[in-house]
Amino acid sequence: MSTAQSLHRSRKRKNAVMMALCIIAAGIGLAWLALILGALLYKGLSGVNLAVFTEMTPPPGDAGGLLNAIYGSIIMTIIGIVVGTPIGVLAGTYMAEYGRFSRLTTVVRFINDILLSAPSIIVGLFVYELMVRPMGHFSAIAGAVALSILVIPVVVRTTEDMLNLVPNALREAGTAIGAPRWVVIRSVAYRAALSGIVTGILLAIARISGETAPLLFTALNNQFWSSNLNAPMASLPATIFQFALSPYEEWQQLAWTGALIITLTVLGLSIFARSLTGRREDR
Amino acid sequence: MKPMLSTDLNAPDATVEKAKIEVKNLNFYYGQSKALKDINLSLPERSVTAFIGPSGCGKSTLLRVLNRIYELYPKQSAEGQVLLDGKNILDRSQDLNLLRTKIGMVFQKPTPFPMSIYENIAFGVRLYEKISKAEMDNRVESALKRAALWSEVKDKLNASGQSLSGGQQQRLCIARTVAVKPEVILLDEPASALDPLSTAKIEELIDELQADYTIVIVTHNMQQAARVSRQTAFMYLGELVEFDRTEKIFTSPREKRTQDYITGRFG
Amino acid sequence: MTAVSEAATSSAMRTREATVRRFAVTDMVFRAATRASAILVLVLLGGVAISLIAGSWEALSKFGFSFLTTESWNPVTENFGALAPIYGTIVTSAIAILIAVPIGIGIAVFLTELCPRPLRRPIGIAVELLAGIPSIIYGIWGLFVFAPFLQTTIQPFIISIFHGIPGLSSLFAGPPYGIGLLTSSLILAIMVLPFITSITKDVFDTVPAVLKESAYGIGCTTWEVTRRVVIPYTRVGIMGGVMLGLGRALGETMAVTFVIGNAHRISASLFAPGTTISATIANEFTEADGALYTSSLVALGLILFIITFIILALARYMLLRIDSRTGA
Repeated sequence: MSTAQSLHRSRKRKNAVMMALCIIAAGIGLAWLALILGALLYKGLSGVNLAVFTEMTPPPGDAGGLLNAIYGSIIMTIIGIVVGTPIGVLAGTYMAEYGRFSRLTTVVRFINDILLSAPSIIVGLFVYELMVRPMGHFSAIAGAVALSILVIPVVVRTTEDMLNLVPNALREAGTAIGAPRWVVIRSVAYRAALSGIVTGILLAIARISGETAPLLFTALNNQFWSSNLNAPMASLPATIFQFALSPYEEWQQLAWTGALIITLTVLGLSIFARSLTGRREDR
Repeated sequence: MKPMLSTDLNAPDATVEKAKIEVKNLNFYYGQSKALKDINLSLPERSVTAFIGPSGCGKSTLLRVLNRIYELYPKQSAEGQVLLDGKNILDRSQDLNLLRTKIGMVFQKPTPFPMSIYENIAFGVRLYEKISKAEMDNRVESALKRAALWSEVKDKLNASGQSLSGGQQQRLCIARTVAVKPEVILLDEPASALDPLSTAKIEELIDELQADYTIVIVTHNMQQAARVSRQTAFMYLGELVEFDRTEKIFTSPREKRTQDYITGRFG
Repeated sequence: MTAVSEAATSSAMRTREATVRRFAVTDMVFRAATRASAILVLVLLGGVAISLIAGSWEALSKFGFSFLTTESWNPVTENFGALAPIYGTIVTSAIAILIAVPIGIGIAVFLTELCPRPLRRPIGIAVELLAGIPSIIYGIWGLFVFAPFLQTTIQPFIISIFHGIPGLSSLFAGPPYGIGLLTSSLILAIMVLPFITSITKDVFDTVPAVLKESAYGIGCTTWEVTRRVVIPYTRVGIMGGVMLGLGRALGETMAVTFVIGNAHRISASLFAPGTTISATIANEFTEADGALYTSSLVALGLILFIITFIILALARYMLLRIDSRTGA
């Protein structure tokens, strides 16, 4: 009897210890998020002023802003999305609609998942070999292509997943009134999956707007204002990289401010994207 | 087993009417397994035919052969003949979209498209016809009236089709089907997901529609089959066991299996 | 029927048939476009592989197999070996995984078993948001906040503790730079933690409720249910999540580049600066002069590509197995 009781007590104790460890683990995870965001706010906010958004990146030791870097990031992100999204949506459409039962789909899904988590610096190397080397110089368009390659797998994945959630009954109903497959896809399936697909695109924007590695040797960087897509272009992440590792205090401050801008953008996009699908699930 | 079954049985009642659809020696396969075994029957024009039988007997499968909706999925195949006005629709040359404009279908669960009530109906019409806005308004209105839904939705045609109640959604689907002016309407357990009141409305509707359309309804509800249909086919394990006038099936069936089923001994 | 309406019907029939033909063509074109896009995904990965092999050909043909086993990395004498970055990549990723896995599983247990229901979703989302923060943010935080903190407090403390203990003293040998292998590992651990947590949580959710309930029914504690039922049931899925996290850690560039120190040498001490494959490429690629230097850097990329491809393929395979089980 007493052994059973002591066994019971030791089991209880062990349970309490393990559960406490789990709570501590969760605390560590949340504390880290808080620490990073806290440091970012603390260091970044002090540098936020109008000049950040109206002036160009300064030479070493001078004050200035991030206008050309912000502009470059926006331009390359837009091109990356515009190029990558249609390809991703079409590929996802093949996998969920025309090719739902085909072997090609299984292979593409596997490869796409690998592409989804492949190191982004490898994509940078690929585009360097594909575009920069043949063209002989770095260019914004090469940077945008590198970003679009990161967009494709994200959009493929969400498009396929969201189209797979569209009930087959809806497709059958569309087919049953004589609509050809592409009309059913366009007017019924896309419409039913719209918020999910948009979420995927937003997540893709969030992902590429903070990417640095694929830009380092495609778009390179540019200290000055440039809207020439065939020339090197500044971007926020590349500027942060350069400025943070420099010994100049003004540059380091701008790096923090830029980091804050990127983080808020990315977090904002992710939260907005989540709220879209969240509403969908509630309905 | 009984190859002459359908023609034989139809002789007394159906010969006076023109057959809209004739099914001849139809076999259907899911991959290797045979789901329909040598089905023969003919469906008279402008009347309601019910398919009944326990679940898995092949009644829905047979219905899905009639507009070839099964072609959406791989590894499903039909052999034999299905004649629509004497023309074999299982023929390779048959255009599927064109076939489906002639043979409409309403499903078990209501399937409103993710668009407005008006668009749900206009969508199908617009596919094959170029008509003016005024004509389209007329078409939508008459289709909704036909489906006894007009008075309930005429003030909210721009509301989402999914905002309607289940029974209204199902009538919207019927209106949508009617709007493209089919010749045959297939109903796959159209009331099984609905409450009794909505069911009654749907049944009333079916009764009215048979003046203009050839209607085939699959149902697991025998009372429903008895109420709405002129002839009934009883299916069991992929075979057509008995096909006759509905009152004959329910009062003096020829086959023992039919009798067992309608008296509730299995199914 | 009158002649007029019959003519009208037959003309309607003709336009209908023309429409049907147009539909068939459009459908074929649309289908071809979707299929081509799907194939493009395969072409992309193939293109990555081919371009890396082509770009690294010069270095690989010059150094051959010894590229993998040489520690020296000397742009002046144009003698390049990948051993130091490979070592750094593997050591930092391994330590990161060792740290992140128990914490990640702990958080997943917390979220599925302990967390009060109203907090479950917000905390889950917070952990996933951590995954969305760009790696350069971790890098800048690591360089300016985390590394100085390690340098002034943690590292001197650890060095003094292990001083004089054989083995451990050389593993944690000074001086405390702040940056180095261990700092990189810790930053990587923070980065992969959200991935491991959210996948583990997802596979925990696949455990049938009846299985857990019957274990609770015979009087198991929460820990016993987790240890004896949930974890064994989801082992393959957890492994998949860990591999996915490992894939991330191996290829992670910016966070590491800031804090690794970029030193091409292998040191026994975890406090010493080192380098990883991705950090070497990021730091040196644009400055590399000479075809052989560039080619050697691309060869590093090829090695990273092969390692991560294998790891990620294994991860996906394991997660697929979990998926097919829950699907059945």
